[in-house]
Amino acid sequence: MIRQHRYTAPLAALGALIALVVMLFPLYAVVIASFENNAQLLGNHYNFWPPTPSFSNYTAVISSQGGHIASTLIIGLGTALLTLAIALPAAHALSRYRFRVTVILIGGLLIAQILPSIVIANSLFILYHKLHLLNTYPGLILADASYTVPFAILVLRAFMLGLPGDVLQAARVDGASEWTTFLRVVLPMSRSAVITIAVFAFLQGWGDFIFALTLLSGNTFEPITLSIYSYIGEFQTNLGQAMALCVVGVLPAAMLLVAAQRYIAAGLTVGSVKG
Amino acid sequence: MARTAAPTRRATARRQPRPDRATAEVSRASRWTRYARVVFLIPAIAYVLFAFALPIVYNLILSFEQTSPATIASLFAPFAGLANYRTALLDPTTQSAIVRTFTFTAGSLFFQFVIGFGLALLFNLRFPLRRVARSLVIIPWLLPLLITGFIFRFLFQLEAGAVNEVLTDLHLISHPVGWLTSPGPAYATILIANIWIGIPFFTVLLYSALQDVPVELTEAAMIDGANAWQRLIRVTLPVIRPVIEVVFVLGFVFTVKVFDVVIGLTQGGPANSTQILAPWAYNLSFQQFEYGAGAALNTILLIIALLAAPVYIWLNRESLRRA
Repeated sequence: MIRQHRYTAPLAALGALIALVVMLFPLYAVVIASFENNAQLLGNHYNFWPPTPSFSNYTAVISSQGGHIASTLIIGLGTALLTLAIALPAAHALSRYRFRVTVILIGGLLIAQILPSIVIANSLFILYHKLHLLNTYPGLILADASYTVPFAILVLRAFMLGLPGDVLQAARVDGASEWTTFLRVVLPMSRSAVITIAVFAFLQGWGDFIFALTLLSGNTFEPITLSIYSYIGEFQTNLGQAMALCVVGVLPAAMLLVAAQRYIAAGLTVGSVKG
Repeated sequence: MARTAAPTRRATARRQPRPDRATAEVSRASRWTRYARVVFLIPAIAYVLFAFALPIVYNLILSFEQTSPATIASLFAPFAGLANYRTALLDPTTQSAIVRTFTFTAGSLFFQFVIGFGLALLFNLRFPLRRVARSLVIIPWLLPLLITGFIFRFLFQLEAGAVNEVLTDLHLISHPVGWLTSPGPAYATILIANIWIGIPFFTVLLYSALQDVPVELTEAAMIDGANAWQRLIRVTLPVIRPVIEVVFVLGFVFTVKVFDVVIGLTQGGPANSTQILAPWAYNLSFQQFEYGAGAALNTILLIIALLAAPVYIWLNRESLRRA
């Protein structure tokens, strides 16, 4: 590390502080807003602190949106599980063996990462109509996994390529089957990568909007992104509750960042793909 | 090594040759074991066909069909030739949406890179609490995009909006700006929101690239009398160029398909002044029920996104070579 000038550290800290204030202000604002009432939120000036802090938005949201929050959890968890179930075996096989389809599959996954979700959603809407998958959890989770499966296979494969070959060879010599090697050796050694992928897949399913908007009609169940979307239509009437629901919506990202910071920072670096 | 969530370039270089690659090993594998191995790939192949190949092909078919709300019940409708493309492309909103998608992408990437690289250089210095600052700056990236759009809608509102409040307090404006009600400011708003979302991505990737710049290189340049600016331009930038390329290609891919932010903020309005391709394709298909025209527009969006494909695959050539 190159020697720093003595003023560098304080100036850098100041710069970082300013950057953080700008980058985190929207989050601060939404938390503050969630403790205000509609009159305060839509008055004639902005409040940097709630004039009369109150939890009433939260109590209202929990009673009216509890079901939607539960649905969002199911979608997030479902996306994480489906992503891992598809990606882990594939990554294992692709990292260990050469198949005739390997190049095609990996090339296809790279292209799949590029495809705009709205294109997929437009087609799936009509296909799901025929397949009776509209307004179902399996249908939505299958669609949401399109955000994560290509990324998950590519990242897990890259990780598994880095596992020490002699350990896998030892398992083979001990007579372990492919399946046993995968379950008993490869999976435990890949734990950190698996956690990273699970966290990302959960956040993608939790935050999905395009597929919820196109593949659900809102009569059966809806995730909170759809609820927030419907608040836009009635922006004037329930802004406080919408803000409280936004706080609920950003909570998992914030909590997971604190809990799994190490994994997330590493996972993001590998060229993560979002959106 | 096993502790890191992903292989770094260094780690993969250290990787031992996999014994399975030995030709002897491969030929010894019986037909039965080879089938057993293919089983591991079946879910992934089936999923790629279902969630990517099928929708793309079906979208293409749909874009050449004469659709109407009535034809949605059946999978196929009469052939329409290029009518959908003509309808979609002759629409002035589509034309401006295509142009706007490019300016929106260029504007987003430019500012995301400049600010993101600035922050990466900042975090590369030593100062108290830099680790905490670095992880906090990631947060905007992880938020659901629709929620981000909605929060910005609140911040940019006319009367009680934080942005107007701050700008008025700083005496930068005398009257509150109707950010979401007039076309120019509305476009600036979606751009600002999208730049905000993308900064962490640029910062994190460029920061990790800066970490990999060999200290000896910068030290050598220093001994040769290069000042900080020369070291940045002549040493650091060339060394991290591969990462910059990746960041721009991925940034392009993320940005041309932006949807949630626009819906959360402006829904394409006012007067379609913030329509870019993805929300406009949604509008055609799901609000005007012009599925054919929507599909045609989706094909155009797809082609634009796929412009990045050759570069993206080339940048990932290493992972294909190991295939």
